Amino acid sequence: MNSPVPSIPADSPAKTPDPADHLAARLRGKYGQRITGELLLPASEGDYRPLPDDLDPRLVAALRQRGIERLYSHQAAAWRSLSDGRHTVIVTPTASGKTLCYNLPVLQAALRSRAKALYLFPTKALAQDQVAELSALNQAAGLGVRAFTFDGDTPGDARKAVRTRGDIVVSNPDMLHQGILPHHTKWAQFFESLRYVVIDEMHSYRGVFGSHVANVVRRLRRICRFYGGDPLFILCSATIANPQQLAAELIGEEVEAITESGAPQGARHLLLWNPPVVNPELGIRASARSQTTRITKLALAQGLKSIVFAQSRLMVEVLTKYLKESFDRDPRRPARVAAYRGGYLPSERRDMERRLRQGRLDCVVSTSALELGVDIGALDLCVLNGYPGTIAATWQRLGRAGRRQRTALGVLVASSLPLDQYIIRNPDFFLGASPEQARIDADQLLILLDHVRCAAFELPFRDGERFGAEPLSELLAYLEEQGILHREGDEWHWMSDSYPANSVSLRSVAEGNFVVVDTSGGAKRVIAEVDYSSAAMTLYEGAIYMVQSAPYQVERLDWVGRKAFVTATRADYYTDAVDYTRLKILDRFEEHMQRRHAVAQGEVHLVRRITGYKKIRYHSHENVGYGKIELPDQEMHTSAVWWQINPEAMEQAFSARQIALDGFLGASHAMHIVATVRMLSEPGDIGKAVGDGNARWFATVDAGGRGRLRGGDGEAVDPQHLDRFTPTLFLYDNYPGGIGLSAPLCEIRDTITEEARQLVKECGCAQGCPACIGPILASDASRGYSPKQAALQALALLSRDES
Amino acid sequence: MSLRARLSRLQGQPGSAAPLSARADSDLRRRLARIEGRRHAAIRQDPDQATRDETLARALKGYPIGDGLIQISRRIPLEGSMGQLPLSLLAETPRLPGEQLQAHRRQVYIDTETTGLSGGSGTLAFLVGMAHVEGDAIRVTQYMITRFAAEGAMLDAFALALSGEDRLISYNGKSYDLPLLGTRYRMQRRADDLNRLPHLDLLHPVRRLFSSRWPDCRLITLEQRLLGLHRHNDLPGSAAPEAWFDFVRSGSTPRLARVVHHNRQDLLSLALAHAALTQVISQPQRHGADVAALARWLADSDKKAAYDLLKQQRQRLPPAGKALLGRLAKGLGDWALAQQIWQGLAQRGCRNAAEQLAKYHEHVSKDLETAKYYCEQLPADEAQRRRLKRIENKLFRRAIQPELRE
Repeated sequence: MNSPVPSIPADSPAKTPDPADHLAARLRGKYGQRITGELLLPASEGDYRPLPDDLDPRLVAALRQRGIERLYSHQAAAWRSLSDGRHTVIVTPTASGKTLCYNLPVLQAALRSRAKALYLFPTKALAQDQVAELSALNQAAGLGVRAFTFDGDTPGDARKAVRTRGDIVVSNPDMLHQGILPHHTKWAQFFESLRYVVIDEMHSYRGVFGSHVANVVRRLRRICRFYGGDPLFILCSATIANPQQLAAELIGEEVEAITESGAPQGARHLLLWNPPVVNPELGIRASARSQTTRITKLALAQGLKSIVFAQSRLMVEVLTKYLKESFDRDPRRPARVAAYRGGYLPSERRDMERRLRQGRLDCVVSTSALELGVDIGALDLCVLNGYPGTIAATWQRLGRAGRRQRTALGVLVASSLPLDQYIIRNPDFFLGASPEQARIDADQLLILLDHVRCAAFELPFRDGERFGAEPLSELLAYLEEQGILHREGDEWHWMSDSYPANSVSLRSVAEGNFVVVDTSGGAKRVIAEVDYSSAAMTLYEGAIYMVQSAPYQVERLDWVGRKAFVTATRADYYTDAVDYTRLKILDRFEEHMQRRHAVAQGEVHLVRRITGYKKIRYHSHENVGYGKIELPDQEMHTSAVWWQINPEAMEQAFSARQIALDGFLGASHAMHIVATVRMLSEPGDIGKAVGDGNARWFATVDAGGRGRLRGGDGEAVDPQHLDRFTPTLFLYDNYPGGIGLSAPLCEIRDTITEEARQLVKECGCAQGCPACIGPILASDASRGYSPKQAALQALALLSRDES
Repeated sequence: MSLRARLSRLQGQPGSAAPLSARADSDLRRRLARIEGRRHAAIRQDPDQATRDETLARALKGYPIGDGLIQISRRIPLEGSMGQLPLSLLAETPRLPGEQLQAHRRQVYIDTETTGLSGGSGTLAFLVGMAHVEGDAIRVTQYMITRFAAEGAMLDAFALALSGEDRLISYNGKSYDLPLLGTRYRMQRRADDLNRLPHLDLLHPVRRLFSSRWPDCRLITLEQRLLGLHRHNDLPGSAAPEAWFDFVRSGSTPRLARVVHHNRQDLLSLALAHAALTQVISQPQRHGADVAALARWLADSDKKAAYDLLKQQRQRLPPAGKALLGRLAKGLGDWALAQQIWQGLAQRGCRNAAEQLAKYHEHVSKDLETAKYYCEQLPADEAQRRRLKRIENKLFRRAIQPELRE
């Protein structure tokens, strides 16, 4: 069933067998069948340049003191580009000395002309790392350059000192947006001498977040102009397909790209791993979790330092628990395995990072939280439990393992999720494809409007000024109509008793974090923080919430106060929330009529409701119970593409509405896979749903794998009893207002149905599987018809008319 | 499709039940409310700008001093009274504890009305008021703009009306009015000379004296509790932004006139509160002030005055006040009182008082037995063990050399 391994012949290592190579060989020998693809990247030599002639002698001394006598070629190239006054983006792998690319010019400017610099990192943790590194360099040579972090944790009385005395201010886009720009007059001195703006981890600024950040940069540059400044931008990024384009879109100007790394790199070995099929009938494979645990245990037994990435916080905790059961059985000895994810307190995370760097931990299990450049030292093995969703993120995570002199091994373990199966069964697609384009749409209307408001608050707009690609005067006129701006002469003034930045969140959904309060034994202790978007799915009453594999049960959720009260528990199960989505069509922007169906693109209103949760026992993974959840619905307006069937064609094609329903659910599954891969977007960017288009009913898959219709309040509806039955299949843009995914989706509508048909037809399963039409639990016999066949029939109806 | 159509679609059409999100929803409602307000106002004919300003100036008994800038001046004789206090109190420059009288400095009371309370560079002061005593009257001068473009001229006029010899007195001005004006001078590309002037923020002493006595320390509370002044038909400060926006949009004057009046009243209350504070300081209990807090304040500049005050009030002092009295008595050599106070405190388990007594009896009264008794009350730490040892040694030596006793 597995495709032949397209392995690239490994130059057999002549020297002593490298531990990672050794493990790879063992895995291949023992589990060859499970490896669907393999890639070996040879080690590369460093490419060095002498220190630049014009580098300040004090900096030369500081570098020498730290043992740096020469630069990597990309560091030298960055120096030249910036000396020539060009905005510069540097794209090189993890641990290739990126920070020096910007620290050198920034320190030089600070030493020579007391020029200032602003560093922006996507997270506070990275900012703190950076300040630590700068102080080390600074202290080594007594440069007298002052670097401070400025973020939500900066105490009020220290803020003034940061504003007036900091040479380098290290912050994040959210703080720039809400704390600095609206108070720019307090930062006047800083902006007057601001020479460099550093944007590190640029690849994380994509999608909605990136679109917001591009607008924050517009505002920043506007404020700089007010103070007579025009700083140079230095951007750094992990590998993406379009760094130059993304950088240019983020800062609104041409950018020089440096993409050749001169840093030496150890060899890399990558295995693509598909868990074995355990039930050919239903197309069910062993879990990724079991495979990841097995591989990691082997590595730990051999003494390799490992990092495991999981896709969810829950999976991090489950994997940690399993690994700890093998390696941390003796509580008297220091732990060898630890979990790392968002939601732990900063101090805990710092401690774990330190233990990793010092080699005191053998294995860390992490969410994407460790994907960014937090310094965690040298590791041998990286296991990805599930496809991270994008090629760029996959390489970024694999890059966390790597040593100069030794081979680093990466194993991508596919889960049963369709996207994973698509990637793992088409290894050439993954191994050959370039990483994704990072898309932003800085002119997405709602985002743009938000920032026009913020910008108008910061400085009155003048006629003829530009801000984004849409006609600014129309936006301003719209805001005047709403009474927020007032036009006077050639200026537009803020005229409202409000602070607009506070109502605009760059991360679009963050509406206040939830804190998790442990009330065991009458105490009240905050043990974790959960962001707004995941609170509903993880903190409902009855949920088992895990912190470092210790289970806590949520007793009470204070939704308004953003608090969850938990107590320690000994439950032998974990919980998994069940949600459903209803859509209502509000407006059609375009429509394409076919004989048997119509495809349209337009605006929809979406309601997501979390109805209950399942209790799943550890190890056996059987469902041991069900609970109800009462939470407010989450609503949004967004754009979508939908396929609507001509009812007559449908009644002809299907003998029963139930079969049609299963067919459409299966088809939507396959189409969603294709759309996600085709759009090179992250799985969560596009959502899918089957309903009637008026939110009178929507379809879910029940525990038996059959489609069920539910009415507006979640009550069951029998499809045969509906007078009108027009299933509508939606692929929607999963962000409020949309980030421009639905128009291009509509353009490739025929490709989507065609490729989905091929995907289902060519899938090796008998009646359907997670990789094509979704999990099939009930057997063919009990159903009386083939769900796979039904999906193919539905897809035929959804396909373009044959001409 | 036009940009406007796209925007209103995305922002949610009026009447559509479905909000975009909670945030956009509340924004939208506020906006709709405002648009509605504006429509009504817009029905009225907008008179020409200059005429409009003149009408406003006349209504306020002021006069335009530039395009969009109105000055309103009042000279109020120091006669009669406001609330319970005679205005004549203002004739003498009030002096608070620790202050040197600087006769050459003019005391200038200031207060602003702004377009919002949230701060940030989008909030401006549309009205700046100042008041100072001038012979037998208090002069109140207010500068108000009727359009954004006049802000620079207003800031200039205000700066010009002040001199480098002035001292500013405000209520919460250190954290509100002055930073806000600083931002405005910066936005208008002007030097901010205000921040160089000495500045007394009366909120700080008021908090010191009354935060434990009053529900809050807002100016309006101070007026009621300290000045016996109850405003009638006053426009609350929070309504000021909309009053000004209304005028700018539609030329509607009545509410804006009330803002000007409100600001003038604030300035007068401020001046009177300054004078009233000197009365509070001389008779704190009569005004219900926190005596211990006042004594702490006095002690910074005049230990004797603090001592006298506390001694006089000693029966009613909270433990913190008693402890301060003990310290002051010790400093001034009144050992008898100090001892008495400490004994009372030590009985109630005050560690510091017990320590003071141990020291006092060891070194001053030389009553070593009593010193030992108090020392034994102390928690057993390094210092306590050393002290106890030393006292025991002294007792031992005294026992073998009784002549040392004297």
